[in-house]
Amino acid sequence: MANWHPRVILAASWLFPIVALIVGIFSAMEAGGNPFYILIASTALALGSMFGVATSNSGNHFTMGLAVAAAVPFVFSGLDMIEPAGSIAAYGIGLTAVWVLRHSRGESHNELLPVMVRRFGGYVVYAIVYSSMRVGLFADLDGGWEDLFPFAVAVSAWLVAEVLIRALLVVGPRELSRSYLARAFLQDLNVFMGLTLTGALFGELFPEITWWALPIALLPYSFAHVAFKRFQDTKTTYRQTIRALARIPEVSGLGVDGHADRTTDMATAIAKGIGLGPVQVEEVEYAALMHDIGRVSLSEPQVIRMGYTDDDIARWSAEIIAESPYVESVADKVRQQYEPYRRPGEQTDPDISLVSRIIKVAAAYDWKVHRDGMSPLNALEELHAGAAYEYDPAMVATLRRILDRRGVLGSVPVQS
Amino acid sequence: MKIPGLDKARRRWWRLHPAVQRRLKVAVPYSVMGFAILVASAVLGEAPDWALWALFTVLYVGLEFFAVEVNDKLYQSSSIMVIMTAGVIFALQPGSSATLGMVLMAALGPFVPADFKERRWFQPMANFGQMVIAAGVSGLILDVSLRQVTSLEAQTLFVVLPAAIVASAFFVLLQQALIRHAVRTVYPYDRLEPWSHLGALFFAQFSMGTLGGLIGAAYLIAERPAVLVLIIGVYGIGHMSLYAYAQLRVSHLSAIKGFVKTLEAKDMYTRGHTERVAYFSEMIGEEYGFSGTQIEELKWAALIHDLGKLAVPTELIRKRGRLDDEEYDTMKEHAHLVEEILAEVDFLQPMVEIASGHHSHYDGNGYGGRGHKEGETPSLAACIVAVADAFDAMTSARSYRMALSQRYALSELRNQSGAQFHPEVVDAFERALKKSGRRWGAPHVNDEEMARRLAEEPELTLRG
Repeated sequence: MANWHPRVILAASWLFPIVALIVGIFSAMEAGGNPFYILIASTALALGSMFGVATSNSGNHFTMGLAVAAAVPFVFSGLDMIEPAGSIAAYGIGLTAVWVLRHSRGESHNELLPVMVRRFGGYVVYAIVYSSMRVGLFADLDGGWEDLFPFAVAVSAWLVAEVLIRALLVVGPRELSRSYLARAFLQDLNVFMGLTLTGALFGELFPEITWWALPIALLPYSFAHVAFKRFQDTKTTYRQTIRALARIPEVSGLGVDGHADRTTDMATAIAKGIGLGPVQVEEVEYAALMHDIGRVSLSEPQVIRMGYTDDDIARWSAEIIAESPYVESVADKVRQQYEPYRRPGEQTDPDISLVSRIIKVAAAYDWKVHRDGMSPLNALEELHAGAAYEYDPAMVATLRRILDRRGVLGSVPVQS
Repeated sequence: MKIPGLDKARRRWWRLHPAVQRRLKVAVPYSVMGFAILVASAVLGEAPDWALWALFTVLYVGLEFFAVEVNDKLYQSSSIMVIMTAGVIFALQPGSSATLGMVLMAALGPFVPADFKERRWFQPMANFGQMVIAAGVSGLILDVSLRQVTSLEAQTLFVVLPAAIVASAFFVLLQQALIRHAVRTVYPYDRLEPWSHLGALFFAQFSMGTLGGLIGAAYLIAERPAVLVLIIGVYGIGHMSLYAYAQLRVSHLSAIKGFVKTLEAKDMYTRGHTERVAYFSEMIGEEYGFSGTQIEELKWAALIHDLGKLAVPTELIRKRGRLDDEEYDTMKEHAHLVEEILAEVDFLQPMVEIASGHHSHYDGNGYGGRGHKEGETPSLAACIVAVADAFDAMTSARSYRMALSQRYALSELRNQSGAQFHPEVVDAFERALKKSGRRWGAPHVNDEEMARRLAEEPELTLRG
């Protein structure tokens, strides 16, 4: 999405809400029944989309709108509405309203477009699968266990559709891999199930007890909300703790200001650039943040007396990390951060992990630019010069690409 | 009148270990009451629909099996949802009573395999009693309040809602009260409030119970088996929210542990110190009658109080002899540095405020970070950490002097009471120390100068 032409995005961002609205109105005319229900459903969808529940690891943002969307075909198939036209009408009108609301809140078209396309696509797939199964295979069954079969199939189709659309739009073809898709799918499963389940509960109860279904569905929804919020907070706590530990050398004047942050930024960019999945990118992030924490030992009297090498710092860092909860696993990788990526006579050294190789390049680049005062181009040149044994050429090439894209390198200086 | 064998029984009782006596004092009455309720409800109550009962019992026992540790050794599960659903269904169905169904269900809950594996007898007995009593009382409430209901329609929920609220409130309150009573009887020397955040946990359990009751009624009214499947999903959501709570707690604990470990990696001296200051602060907090949540906050603040030392050169921390002015200023920085290091860690912010004030004086002198204002008394929590820190600094060995005696340290605290230290906190600390019966510090070193000389000239030996 990001590398599309801005004009295309602008045009699409105008077209999408209009098309959605037109589709919505036409299907509302098609659906028959009481249009009042469609209005209520689309309002609920728009309001629900304002309540964010959680942002999952894979960067997926979940809202209460999901639960509403899950409930809509349930309720409509109980009322005399022609399905899936009714549901699609509600989604079209509702999402147009969401677009207007979120855009007026300051979100750019650039961010909104992929999210909205994905949501609409997912909803429509869900409604079509659900209602066609209700009309076809499960027409005569009402209220039995089998009622949930169409729901289960439709929800699975919905999730697959969302993941596929997301992978196509956001991740971009370069980083798209089957393992990434599978991981994103699994990571979002619990949030997704929790939300759609409360929607289904509402839809299943509404025909019998009318608006009493609302509090009964809202309570488990709020449990789910709290649970996801807490899972989120858990992640935040770990991240903040690690950031705080990473700050220590700088606070005590033993490191270069911002070295850890800049190295982390560059290392995660490289990790994404070579196509790692979200879990490994996180690992790179933590390892990069903590890679220099061993510098707290630099004020030790015996260190001041006897001096130290880069390898000592790596060792001390690894020792501290091994003691810290949650990040123990990256200790080995930090330990190897100054090792050359191969020795003479080897293709690569299998003992040196990918994470260490990334950090080595990112940290070296940052030292050269910010401590030694080199220009980015000169720093890159030195890294290239060391590509025989020290720096992994694949990482250096990715670094070069990133710097190029960020416009850091500028124009090539003319030799005087 | 003489009861035969009474003397023998009495002698046997006194021969038991006091810890076993205390456990028996809880386990026997609890389980006897539990059995009484079980028998009474079996005699008086009407049998529930056994197929439904079996389904809910399997769910109930399963959720109990996956109970999560929401607080130190306090396990909770979302099983209250299941038992309340079952209770409401049995109360509403004609010809069955909620009490019997719920009591039978609760009687099966406490038998966790871990208890059998470790040959525990106390936990299953006490839990059996506690659960059956709570289930019996709330079942009775449901039976009494829902007896008149004959027709099942949406309006019925107006009756079910208040009944479910009252029943689940009683259920959770009784459970918490009985567990707290049991813990206080079995561990009489421990703190008053064994757990923190009981209020929040009450609310979570209470709302789960209410929801459980409501969905039970909704299931009966809707007459749709599909709803039953969705209800099982709702139980899963309840379990997930408790699990998330436990995870969050673990993350906080391990964050604190991470900071403490890093500090230890830098300076071994601090190891025992940090833990002892936390211990003393906890003692004082208990003497003040703080709640579990406040004590936890105090303890965490004490654990991070020296974190700023991470950023102070080690040579200063370990220096033999007195610090000169410049070095002392650097040392003072550590009160600010703890704020700077932890600035981004949201959950620690209240503790950082306390920790950065631990060198502020009661009369408003001293130094400190954001929490310190010239001429103002710092917060009570900061005063507590200050006293605990000063006491441990005196009674443990430092690089520049030996450990001082407890008597000397206490007299020093009393001298400074009202100036450097909060007088009430010092009094509370003395009382708590006397109660604990432990002595700290070296036995005979009652003189600061002496202690310094002993450290500087190791060949001097102490004759006391």
